[in-house]
Amino acid sequence: MKNHLLQAYRQAPWRVQLQWIGLFLLGLVLISFVAGVYLNISGRAAAAGRQIQVMENRIGILKREINDLATQLASITSAEQMRSRVKNTNLHQMDPNLALYIKVPGYQPRTSVVLAPPPNANMIEKPLLQPQYTTSLWDWFVDNIWAAPDKPINIDIKVNP
Amino acid sequence: MKPPFWTRYLILSTICALVALGVIIQMVRIQNIPGAKEIMAQSELYAGVKETIYPSRGNIYDRSGYLLAGNETTYEVGLDLFQIVDPETIATVTTTILGLDYTETLVYARNLPGENARYYIVLTDFVSSDKIEQLNILKEEYANRPKQKNEVRPSLAGLVWNAHTKRSYPEGDLASNLIGFFGFLDRKEGHGFFGVEEAYNDLLTGTPKEIYMASDPQLVEALPEIPAGASLVLTIDREIQAMAEAVLENSVKWSGAEAGTIIISDPRDGAILAMATTPRLDPNEYWEYDKIFPKPTPFNRAVSKSYEPGSVFKVITMAAALDRGIVEPDTLFYDPGYIEVGGSYIYNWNGGAWGNQDMTGCMQHSLNVCLAWIATELGEKDFYRYIEDFGFNRNTGIDVAGEIHWPLRVPGDNQWFEVDLGTNSFGQGIAVTPIQMVMAISALANEGKMMAPHIVKSMIINNHQYEINPVVVGTPIKAETAETITHMLAVSLLEESSSALVNGYEIAGKTGTAEIPTEFGYTNETTNTSFVGWGPTDNPQFLVYIWLEKPSISIWGSDVAAPVFQEIVQNLVILLDIPPDAVRQNLTTK
Repeated sequence: MKNHLLQAYRQAPWRVQLQWIGLFLLGLVLISFVAGVYLNISGRAAAAGRQIQVMENRIGILKREINDLATQLASITSAEQMRSRVKNTNLHQMDPNLALYIKVPGYQPRTSVVLAPPPNANMIEKPLLQPQYTTSLWDWFVDNIWAAPDKPINIDIKVNP
Repeated sequence: MKPPFWTRYLILSTICALVALGVIIQMVRIQNIPGAKEIMAQSELYAGVKETIYPSRGNIYDRSGYLLAGNETTYEVGLDLFQIVDPETIATVTTTILGLDYTETLVYARNLPGENARYYIVLTDFVSSDKIEQLNILKEEYANRPKQKNEVRPSLAGLVWNAHTKRSYPEGDLASNLIGFFGFLDRKEGHGFFGVEEAYNDLLTGTPKEIYMASDPQLVEALPEIPAGASLVLTIDREIQAMAEAVLENSVKWSGAEAGTIIISDPRDGAILAMATTPRLDPNEYWEYDKIFPKPTPFNRAVSKSYEPGSVFKVITMAAALDRGIVEPDTLFYDPGYIEVGGSYIYNWNGGAWGNQDMTGCMQHSLNVCLAWIATELGEKDFYRYIEDFGFNRNTGIDVAGEIHWPLRVPGDNQWFEVDLGTNSFGQGIAVTPIQMVMAISALANEGKMMAPHIVKSMIINNHQYEINPVVVGTPIKAETAETITHMLAVSLLEESSSALVNGYEIAGKTGTAEIPTEFGYTNETTNTSFVGWGPTDNPQFLVYIWLEKPSISIWGSDVAAPVFQEIVQNLVILLDIPPDAVRQNLTTK
């Protein structure tokens, strides 16, 4: 028995076919998974987009209502209306000769109205919509997976006394 | 050796490739068919809309924050032709509630969508919220009404309304002469007319922006921040303005004057606290303009009408002479009752001779002869230099639209004659606007510093309030001169027991009665009566200028304008919280 016979090994055809099918299905599952994630994210982004549209519309309506209410309030407290209310309530302007004047320490006489804060030199312009809401999945991969090693690592160390 | 199933794979791949190729070929073909561009253009219509966003017009407030001009919601009512099912009901309801023409509305409502390329028809605009509420209730009621068998249910489907804002003036005609109005009926091209509405039109309007709003929610982006137009805080005080207008209205009625003007300012910074003129317009109904202001009636006489002021101008002449050192309060002048200047004779208001008078007496008795003599002593060059220093040769630059000034005639001009030096000294032959007088005389009440009159105190831009600093436009006289003339005018008012005096307060002031130039020369049958005064003299906090045109009750400023000044100041000291002099001095010395 000098001659050793090598047994040729070969997968059975049905097994090879099964492996191919398995590989194909695995690819399909992977693609479906990525597509599912993408669909989920883009669906949520679309819903957020719609919400933005609705909210901006609402902001417009609210601003208009605020303006309208402020104007209505001004109308019902106008000088003419107040004069007629004074008349109806039997009030009258004081006689200056009867006025008693006293010195009140710390009293601040009325100053002009302040309807908004004064301008600040350190005003920072911030975008209304954060970039996270407009970044595509692809952009996210590029920024956070591929390009991540190139980015400097910021470590925010807080020292508590 | 070929792998197993090679042939099958090859066939499958070929089929897939052919299908893909077919798809690509079809894609390329569709891109290039004759209607491709049309399809693309049509698809873009659905992709989103381009819209111009008009920022809301900025508000206008008084110095205390009371809203003088704002924006209210109003509605445009129209027909969406796609949705209409019952034209008759729409016509009936709009006729009843909105007062529209039945037949016209019915014709519109019966249009088919796309007929004459119309899908939407505007029926009316600027409909109030109340009427829209009525329409809304009816529309809902019809929509929810249970339908009976064989019954045709009425419907307002297709009747639509869209909200928008319109300019509103909650105080009505209060301060309308300095606020102006906004032509809100023109929703795209409307702009401000007169007053601050015109002067600050661009700031109040803001910057319209064209934006693209994608229908695809994936492409939705946050709308760019479109800031509202700037809001303005005025220097005027609503209560003082209302008081001045009420007093003016009564005074015009009582005196039989054709018109009137009252300006109240703070001489320390040039802020206008009130500016009342007649007539006035309710800016909510600005279309009445032509009726209320027939030509050539100015919208705001205080800045847009010049007149010969008469004796109130004597305070300028006297201030110039004191400042130049030509006279002092106790300088004596013998008044023979006339003076010759440039070959013409000038007489006093009563034609009388007043004998020896000091300068306070000259002001107290308002002697034309004395003031003409002072002007001649001052000389042409210095007199007109002072007049120019006081700003009578230019606009004051007040921040309301429509300011004018009458050109000042000076030596060397064709129209100037030597006698003008004499007549100009007492305010004849020279035309000024009330606001020019207020600016000039503010120097006398403010230690010689002449402040630029202004209406806007601060601006609110992008949610930040910017204060506007007062501006000194000149120092025509020294502080000592201002103090001297203030004292002289206070004494002269007191000694003549003027009807302008206010109990408890020392006031400096001067009356004015001016003849009116006509085509046939000056007439003394009708006059312009004026009064200018400021106080309290030790610390002036207000300056009041009054002009009543052609009063019928009397031709004299002392009879007509002086009592009006008194009434104004009596109210003003309360509204400005100014205690009587004795109380104030007592409190400050404690």
